Amino acid sequence: MNAEKARAAVADISADTDPTRKAAKLASLCSALFRARGVELVVVGGSAIELLTEGAYTSGDLDLCRLSPASLSLRERQEIMGGLGAQGGPRSWQVAGLFVDLLGPLETLARTPLRKLQGAYGVVQVVQPEELLVERVLVSVYPQPHPPARECAKKLAAVALGGAMEFDWEEVRRLASRPEYGILAACKALVREVANELKTQSPLDSHE
Amino acid sequence: MNEVMSWEDWLKGRRWRRELGNRVAPEVIQRPRSSSDLRLRKLFNGQRGLPFTPTEKL
Repeated sequence: MNAEKARAAVADISADTDPTRKAAKLASLCSALFRARGVELVVVGGSAIELLTEGAYTSGDLDLCRLSPASLSLRERQEIMGGLGAQGGPRSWQVAGLFVDLLGPLETLARTPLRKLQGAYGVVQVVQPEELLVERVLVSVYPQPHPPARECAKKLAAVALGGAMEFDWEEVRRLASRPEYGILAACKALVREVANELKTQSPLDSHE
Repeated sequence: MNEVMSWEDWLKGRRWRRELGNRVAPEVIQRPRSSSDLRLRKLFNGQRGLPFTPTEKL
C-alpha cells in the first residue's frame, strides 16, 4: 500500500463515526501494513468480542496481538504507524480517532481456526470465539463474580446459539475442562441460562 | 469456519448479532471504567469511546 492510499484509508477511518465499523477498518489497515512486513496480527479481547457480537462492549481502543513468531523492531513499528500519522508508540498509538494497542504474542489454547474478515484494506484475523467465551466465563466467576464479564459472555453465547456465528461447542467443552480454565460447570450453567432465554437447547448439555 | 467472511456479509449481520445479544443482556455493556480511562476520556470528550450506533440504524 503506497503512502497516498494509506492517507486515504486514514481519512476514511477518521471520518467513520460508527465505533465498531471504525475499529474493523483500522484493524484491516494495520493488519495489511504489518502483513506486508511479514507479521500477522490478530484482534483480541473486547475488540474481538465487538467484531463478533456487536455487543456494545468495547471502548475506544483496538487490541491487537502478534500471531507470527517474527516481531518487528520498535523502529519498524514506528515507521508503519508513523506513516498513518499515528501519535505515540511503540506499543500504543493514537490514530484515526482510536487507540491501537499492540499487546505482544497471541496466547490461545483453542484448536479452532482464527476467524477471518475481509476488511476494507485487507483480511482481519480475530481470535477464536470459543476461547473468548471460556475466558469471559472464567473472568465472570474467578477470582470473584464480575457482572460485566458475565454479560459479555452471555452475548457471545447468544450470538453463537442463535447461529449468527460459526462456533464449535465441543471446543468450548474441551477448553473449559482444561486445567488452565477449569470452569466447565460455570460455562455449562451460563450457556444453559442463555439457551433458556432464547428458548433453545444448550449444546453443552447434549451429552448428558 | 475457515472461510473469510466478506465485508458485506459482516455489515449485513450486524443488526442480527446485536438483537441476539440484546435478548440476554442490556443493550450497552461497556465497562464503566478501566486502566485506560485517562486517555480514553481525554480523546472522547469524557466518554470511553464513540457512542454505539443504535440497533435500528445497524
